[in-house]
Amino acid sequence: MMWNGIKSFMTGRRSSEVAKGRLHLVLAHDRSGLEGGRLQEMRQEIAAVIAKYVKIDAEAVEIQIETRNRASQLTVSSQITPRNA
Amino acid sequence: MGRAIVITSGKGGVGKTTVTANLGTALAQLGHSVVLVDADIGLRNLDVVMGLENRIVYHLVDAIRGKCSVAKALIKDRRMDNLWMLPASQTDDKDSVTPEEMRTLIFELKHQHDFVLIDCPAGIEQGFKNAIAGADEAVVVATPEVSSIRDADRVVGLLAAAEVPARLIVNRISAHLVKRGDMLSQADVIEILALDMLGAIPLDDDIVATTNKGIPAVLEGKSLAAKELLRIARRLSGMETDQRTAGVGFFTRLGRALGLSASPA
Repeated sequence: MMWNGIKSFMTGRRSSEVAKGRLHLVLAHDRSGLEGGRLQEMRQEIAAVIAKYVKIDAEAVEIQIETRNRASQLTVSSQITPRNA
Repeated sequence: MGRAIVITSGKGGVGKTTVTANLGTALAQLGHSVVLVDADIGLRNLDVVMGLENRIVYHLVDAIRGKCSVAKALIKDRRMDNLWMLPASQTDDKDSVTPEEMRTLIFELKHQHDFVLIDCPAGIEQGFKNAIAGADEAVVVATPEVSSIRDADRVVGLLAAAEVPARLIVNRISAHLVKRGDMLSQADVIEILALDMLGAIPLDDDIVATTNKGIPAVLEGKSLAAKELLRIARRLSGMETDQRTAGVGFFTRLGRALGLSASPA
């Protein structure tokens, strides 16, 4: 018990918070019917499309599904590399 | 006309049958006429949890097939004046009845009783579809674990698609694990599932002991779990409308925001 306390203090995350984070992710995937692996495939395709128009680091494109009040939202975010870089 | 409430969860082993037995008994204690329906055809268990296993003559499939009247298939609980049980068949399988037949059966039971509580089988297949067919509302039981909440979420989606309004019971919550940060709190579960809360039943050794004996815990009445089950029954019947989480005072909320006191357990 003591050790668990010290451990969670050191790592800063309690197991309930880990559970909550995992649930948010797994439910977003379940509700959208999209598997985690397929999401990564989609990320690569979207990155390739964006790269056709602006200069980006394709590896740094992030994709996320978030759920709030049973509604899911898909977010794709990417930093644009400056033109003269 | 009574109300038909299905008790469901998706995942097995989270306490559906125990919750059904106790809520039904508690509603009968409050003076309502109650019938408990075991919809788990092939894997019946409500009979043993209620301690009525030695009195079964006819069952749900007999009543649907017209082998006997619905009234004749009901087992009267001798401990209470106004409590009955309709056992499932142990030898048929889940495909032996249709949602339409269940709807007709539940409708007939609603005519004679204030509450029809339907104990749903685990899973989301035919047995689930049969169990929710005649229900006016649903109680989703989940334990504060990732697997149970994930399955509950699936069921909540299916209930919404079938237009059955659902409320949540969090079962087997341990205050000290929540406090230590090793269990999701009831507030966490509500936030994740976005459902109205009926109550949170504490993890309680007494439930194991009373279930061993085939006596619903609310009949013995002293344990923490039994008290919460009785409170949930009052809320279900509309006798108590306050929600503990809604009535939290300003200073408690402030304390929680500052991390001074534990989240509700």
